This record gives sequence, C-alpha cells and structure tokens, in this order.
Amino acid sequence: MDKDKDRELMHRLLDGELSAEEQRDALRRIGSDPALKEEFELLARTVRSVEEAERVPVEGSFVSEVMARLPGQRPGTARRLRDFLFRDRVLRWNVAWAAVALALVLLVTGGLFLTANRLTPVVATNSAGNTVLTRFTFHDPDAEAVSLAGDFNRWSVKEGAMKRKEGGLWTIEIPLKPGTYNYMFVVDGKVWVTDPEAGVYRDDGFGNRNSIIRVSTL
Amino acid sequence: MRSETFPLGFRLMDRNDAELAEEQSIVRQCIGGRQEAYAVLVRRYQEMVYNVAYRMVGDTEAAKDIAQESFISAYSGLRGFRSDARFSTWLYRIVMNKCQDHLRKERPHVPVEEMAESVASTRNNPEQELRRSQTIARLQSALDLLPAGYREVIILKHMEGLSYEEMEKVLGVKAGALKVKTHRAREMLKKVMKEEGILDG
Repeated sequence: MDKDKDRELMHRLLDGELSAEEQRDALRRIGSDPALKEEFELLARTVRSVEEAERVPVEGSFVSEVMARLPGQRPGTARRLRDFLFRDRVLRWNVAWAAVALALVLLVTGGLFLTANRLTPVVATNSAGNTVLTRFTFHDPDAEAVSLAGDFNRWSVKEGAMKRKEGGLWTIEIPLKPGTYNYMFVVDGKVWVTDPEAGVYRDDGFGNRNSIIRVSTL
Repeated sequence: MRSETFPLGFRLMDRNDAELAEEQSIVRQCIGGRQEAYAVLVRRYQEMVYNVAYRMVGDTEAAKDIAQESFISAYSGLRGFRSDARFSTWLYRIVMNKCQDHLRKERPHVPVEEMAESVASTRNNPEQELRRSQTIARLQSALDLLPAGYREVIILKHMEGLSYEEMEKVLGVKAGALKVKTHRAREMLKKVMKEEGILDG
C-alpha cells in the first residue's frame, strides 16, 4: 500500500467511515507498521486534543448586550400607541440623572411625590373603584414558578402566582389602591428576589431589600 | 493496539424535535414583533457562537464583538431564515462569514508553504515548559498557525462535532471536498502541534 492510501485510510478510520470489517483490516495494517502506528497515534492525539478543548466562558452580560443592540421594530400606529401606553418601562439611572429627575419631580409636584420615582413596570389602565390595575414583570427564563409577595397580599408566597410568557418573562396584574407598597418576587417558592427594576428600595430588617412601588391615580 | 486508543467517539449533536419546534416557534414570534423572545436563542447559543469566533480569530475581545454582531445579523435576517433549516446551522454560517471578514481585514492570508517557516520561527524558546493549565492557549497557538480555511473545518468537525453533511450546509462547499480539506487540515495541525511540542506527554 502506498503512503497516500494509508493516510486516507487513517482519516477515514478517524471519521468512523469504515465498515466493521474495513476497520479491523485498517487497524491490523496500522498496527503492523511501527512508523504508521506512530503517525496514527499522533493524528489521533491531535484530534482528541481539539475535541477535548475546554470552552471559553461567556461574560454574564452577553445576552442583555445583544438584546440592547437589536434593531428596533417598525410596528403600525395602533401597535405603537399600545406599546407606548403599556410597555414595560425600564430606566437605567446614574447619580446625575437621578438628581435631574428628582429636581424635575420637585419642580412639578412641589415635593408632593418625593419618593415617587417609580421605575417598576407599572401600567395604570384606569382607576376603577379607586384601585389601579398594576402590572409587575420579572425576567427569569429558568424559573419554574414565580410569585409576587408584598404588603398587599400579606407577603403570601401562594397568592400572587405570576404567569409565564415567552422568553421567560413573568407577569401579573393586580388592583392596588393608591399608596406605597413593599414587595419582592419569590422564585420557585423559596428564593426571594428584589425587583432589579424597582426605583426605590428599603431594607426589610432581615438583611434583604424590599422593592418599593408607589401607586397613584394619574 | 487497543481499540480504546482510537478517538472514534461521536458527539451526538442532534437536537431533539421538541427543541427544533420550539426554535421555529421562537423565530415566528420574533418575526411577529416579539423581540424579547430572541433572548432564549441568544442564551442557548451564546457559548457556541462565542467559542467558534474565539477559535477562529484567537482574540477574546474580537470574538465577543463578532459573536454579538452574528446574533444581531441573524435577528435582522430572520425573515429569510428557512423554517426547515436548523437555527444553529444558520448561526454557524453567519459567525464563520463574520470571522472570515474580520481575518481578511486584520491580517494577511498566510500561504501553506510559509507555514513551516512560521512554525520554525516560533520554536526559539525550547526551555519554556508549557503547563497543562495553558491547554486552551496552546491549542489556540497551534490553530492560529493554520490557514483560516483549515481552522474552519477543524473547528466545525472536531469542536462542534458536525457531520460533513452539516458542514456542507454551513460552508456551502460539497461534503466530499470538505472531507479532503479536513484530512489536510488535520495533517497540518498534527505537524504544527508536533513541532510545537504540544503533543508531548
């Protein structure tokens, strides 16, 4: 057998393309020639070193960075209006912007809503019977169940079961009277999570922070 | 020779039908305007896309940019995505194209004949004892010495575990030709790794 043929045989063996009989013959052929055997072992080790190569870990912020860079949609007017009214509002704050916003709030309300810089996704559809339908959202695609617990349901883990939507977004809408409420999300019935998108937090006295929401009739 | 010394193990890359159906559903939702659904696909494939890019360009920062741009391009072109195709196949194609673009811009193509020379010139530090913990970098240094086209087939075949038929869909080159190319790529990688002392011990 010539060298090229031997070489092709070795590669086909590596690719698992030989029948059981061909494989046996190939192994016998390679094993009978020390030079060929050494060459095949080197080749096999080369392939194995690639196959067993460790994966380089991805930064935790990768998904959110991609999502933030996606091109915007161009929905129709009705859709845009609806999105404007009902979209989940996520604002990112730094100290400078917080100061500007606070100044604006003070200016407009005369300090009436000093702690009213709510950031939690809230939708006030209308006040009916003096309550405001308020939407809470939480993103966790890996959760089996998420519930909303707060002052308004006596911190019950069971009452505020949230519904899962596509993409691991959990939502719930509950009627709340105007006022200020403490709340947290409970993941899988046991892990208490502070709303990362809440604008105001308050220590709960147990080493955690509650998220604060202020509901007002607009 | 014992049979277990042969690397004949195959990685089962076939995703199950449920996952395929789910991906098609996610794609439809994205096209329908539910942008947030796309996060599921990004999360699922981020490691794959990032690692392919890293192994192709050998630089983590560039790999991150390429990986992110790949996902954004994939999203922008979702309408052109054939629903009977695999999302992963499509992603591989996009990331490979972006890597090739990057390499064309970043460094000149090194012809095969010059490879041996470049390998020889890197051997001027014989005392250097490379430890096991440096495996990733060592393998990368060997991969970097291959022409991009060889690196491409090695990554898809042996890191990603694709079949030649799947590689044909990704690269748009006939499986038979890819087989020959992969054989040559392996031979060159073997030579480089041997000369670099990576296969010792």
